[in-house]
Amino acid sequence: MIALRRESLLGLLPILALLAAWQGTVAGGLVPPALLPPPAAVFGRLGQNLVDPAFLGHAGVTLYRLFAGFLIALAIGVPLGLAGARIRALGAVVRPLVRVLAPVPKIALYPALILSLGFDDASKIVLVVADALFPILLATFAGAASVEPKLVWSARAAGTSAAATLWKVVLPATLPAILTGSRIALVIACIVVFLAEMITSTDGLGYLLVRATRTFQIVDMFVPLLAISGIGLLLNGALALARRHLLRGFPEEG
Amino acid sequence: MTAIVRRLPGLPPLLACLALLLAWQAFAHWAARGGVPDALSTVRELPLILGDRDSLGAIAESLRRMATGFAIALVVSVPLGLVMGRSRIAAALLDPLFMIAYPVPKAALMPLIMLWLGVGDASKLLVIVLGVSLPIIYHSAAGARGIEEKMLWSARAMGMGPVGRLTRVVLPAVLPEILVGCRTGIVLALITMITSEMIARQNGAGNILFSALDMAQYETVYAMILIVSALGIALDMLFEVLRARLTGWADDPHLIAAPPS
Repeated sequence: MIALRRESLLGLLPILALLAAWQGTVAGGLVPPALLPPPAAVFGRLGQNLVDPAFLGHAGVTLYRLFAGFLIALAIGVPLGLAGARIRALGAVVRPLVRVLAPVPKIALYPALILSLGFDDASKIVLVVADALFPILLATFAGAASVEPKLVWSARAAGTSAAATLWKVVLPATLPAILTGSRIALVIACIVVFLAEMITSTDGLGYLLVRATRTFQIVDMFVPLLAISGIGLLLNGALALARRHLLRGFPEEG
Repeated sequence: MTAIVRRLPGLPPLLACLALLLAWQAFAHWAARGGVPDALSTVRELPLILGDRDSLGAIAESLRRMATGFAIALVVSVPLGLVMGRSRIAAALLDPLFMIAYPVPKAALMPLIMLWLGVGDASKLLVIVLGVSLPIIYHSAAGARGIEEKMLWSARAMGMGPVGRLTRVVLPAVLPEILVGCRTGIVLALITMITSEMIARQNGAGNILFSALDMAQYETVYAMILIVSALGIALDMLFEVLRARLTGWADDPHLIAAPPS
């Protein structure tokens, strides 16, 4: 426990060093504050914004798009991955489609989404779905395909129907893989929702960055970046907690 | 059927491409709105763009930037990842920093970096390097952590020096995992390439795509989407061939590995 705490203290060192170098550069007058504001100003503004309802509203819009997209991706990816891995005919169709669609940079599809779905939430949510879907689908597919066949045979021999086996045996055995895929998908969703809001938006954290850039408010440019990093960290932590809770009793997990 | 597929491994993805184009065509007919050009007229638009010297040059410019950025990231990240995987202290030092950096969209740093380095090549290269580095570092570290200790002991017992151990034992053993990181890296490189060019409109594929959108040249928009998608698919296939060559001996790599914890 003490060793663990010492290690996490060690991890703070480079972050503190980075902040010190930042402060040193500004204080030493190496760059004008118009290009790099002092860290105190940036974190002060972040603190102010965190109690500002307008800023929280923007953050809420971003979170709404992020979660809507992520949950839809989960609702499509998990059943499709499970079914594709267990039903051969479906797998033969899904596999090449995924092979072709997964490496396509989805952000390039965004103009088409704007043209067909408009500038509102819908196009951004669909973009998040398109990007978050493939990590979840691929992980579920790989996980379900490598479920110990003996488990499935035993369940079938004991009289469980095929559908119930999928639900009661394959899904729980695939859970670790699904959670791993979800974690990647969440990080990607954070990145994509922000970029989409930067391209066309009137609200959200990405819009705040663009607005600050246009008005040359350098301190305000840092704040949305710190906010999205914080959101990513919180979501990652929440997912790690959920993982520990859901995977009680699994070997080598935690 | 299985025999045919085994003979021609490219057949199912090709069929999938055709099916997607057909679905698009059908959708455009069904929707029949001004916004969605059908697949056929978009494909007909392709020669116009690919035959144009300027557009072709811009796309080549994008690819050159992406390749340079990727190469720089590879040279920096693989050694860093290996050290993090083999040394507990290095991992404890650097893990939290990278954990904070991971969810920040690297292309979103573009406006800031443009202030410091200008709108030219340097900023776009830096953003691509930043975007590609993290997955490669992460996977190199995970691979190096998972090396069978007995192999290292044996090499040592047989009198192999530290440099030899690193290049002849550690590197080959970690290679499959590094390549998993590279695959994520390629996708991220494409995303950052397009977005950085969209923000700093100077040249490149992203500039053509988003400028066409602003000027309401929808045929060009859809044709560019097709070209960029084809680039992504082609790079992925190329990578797959390379991977089969380099690490054909290894087990099928897990398609996806755990992100930073």
